[in-house]
Amino acid sequence: MSLKTHASKLLILLVAITGTRGGLQAQQTTIDSALYDRVAELEKQVSYKKPGEDHFMVVGLTTFGFVSNKTTVTSGGASQISKTNSLADADHYEFSPMLLWRHGKKFLLEFEPSFNGNSLGVNWADVSYFAAPGVIIRAGYLVIPFGFYNKRLAAGWINKLPTDPTGVAGNPPASDFGIEVEGGLPLGDMKWNYDISLTNGMQLLPDGELQSAGITDNNKNKTITGRLGLLPFSNSSLELGISGLFGAVGDDTSTSFKGVKTSMFAVDLNYVKLFNPVLVSVKGQYNYTHIDRTTYAKPTDGSNYSFDNNTSSYFTQVSVRPTGADSKLVKNLEAALRIGNFTTPRNSLWGQRSDLIEGGLLYWINWRTVLKFGYQYSKSDSRAVDDPGTRTVSKSLFLQFSIQL
Amino acid sequence: MKTLTIKGITYLLITAAGLTICLNFYACKPSQKVASKTGVQLWAENCQRCHNTPSPTTFSHEQWETIGLHMQSRALLTDDEREKIIAFLQQ
Repeated sequence: MSLKTHASKLLILLVAITGTRGGLQAQQTTIDSALYDRVAELEKQVSYKKPGEDHFMVVGLTTFGFVSNKTTVTSGGASQISKTNSLADADHYEFSPMLLWRHGKKFLLEFEPSFNGNSLGVNWADVSYFAAPGVIIRAGYLVIPFGFYNKRLAAGWINKLPTDPTGVAGNPPASDFGIEVEGGLPLGDMKWNYDISLTNGMQLLPDGELQSAGITDNNKNKTITGRLGLLPFSNSSLELGISGLFGAVGDDTSTSFKGVKTSMFAVDLNYVKLFNPVLVSVKGQYNYTHIDRTTYAKPTDGSNYSFDNNTSSYFTQVSVRPTGADSKLVKNLEAALRIGNFTTPRNSLWGQRSDLIEGGLLYWINWRTVLKFGYQYSKSDSRAVDDPGTRTVSKSLFLQFSIQL
Repeated sequence: MKTLTIKGITYLLITAAGLTICLNFYACKPSQKVASKTGVQLWAENCQRCHNTPSPTTFSHEQWETIGLHMQSRALLTDDEREKIIAFLQQ
């Protein structure tokens, strides 16, 4: 082969290599550009997800179900029976989304509207300031610290039974307008917590019952409520609480009720412990209400009457769940039993003594979704003024579903 | 008389609580045994006092932060407990 031929082939090879390199470079530039575009797009997406100081979320709960009830009222030797079957369980249905706004790590705003089938209400609407370790300051429409049921156990997906304990839940009214200071603190192997509120308080009604005074107070006095809790064991299995509530309830404009005060007292207990393979939970609360003696007028004839305005209520509840069982079906089952009593003043228009027992079987679909089957029996004897002795017996069968949103 | 007794006892307890707060507020310390507890231990011990223990996968990092504040005010957890439990749930 001549030198000229070799030179020609070398030239062709060089041209070919140069051309290929140029093509590769062009291809590389295209890939780089696509990568840059992709990274830029991802950065953009990440910036949308980037957490700021503020955060907003919605949780809450809903509860619905079915109740079949038979009520027998016996008075003066005659009985009257009524039966109802209600879908959506009109007494215990609720849809309550809870809106939470967090501003940094110091402020939390909570708002829980609630639709109960008949009306749209608000459970709480408040702002909390996490001032220091063990010091939370709250203002707004808040759950008062009386006992522990209303604040911790009332949610349908937390409550082990389809109903709330009569006379304990909502007595006194769970929420009020005011300010609150609370906190939990360590104490060696133990823990303790405190919770104090100053609110508008309650208003005494013409029949001697109490209702929330609302956003405009009915007198100059403010109601102070406090709860002190102690967890004596290092594993937090037991909590003992004591509560008190004091305030004027009479209208300042009322001639007969002005200056009338109430004092309330509650004790509560919560014990939860795993006795492998069974998780045992024991809960209870006792409430006592006293309202100063005063004179009331009968709505029928306007005549005056008086009574010792003292009310008491309690519930004790035990539940067991075999969380350590091998079977998934068995470990998601829980059995609960509750007894309770609600006694209102003798010789009032609304005096009665009610004893209740309720049992339930729960199936946990997941940690915050539950299906409950329950049966409640209650017997109520009237203690009302002028009542000949009415007895009401009520039997209810519940099927209820509750979920945390 | 019964009412006065109950009222008196309650006033006494609240006063005692107030004094305890004033005198021991900054003296409230956990024991070494309590201070060394991990987030998973505190999660198991405290959440089930009222409800089932939540799954860490339920909420996002930021959501757990918000729920931590809400739960601290409901269950009156200590600050250390809240921080450890939330750190565990955020993993």
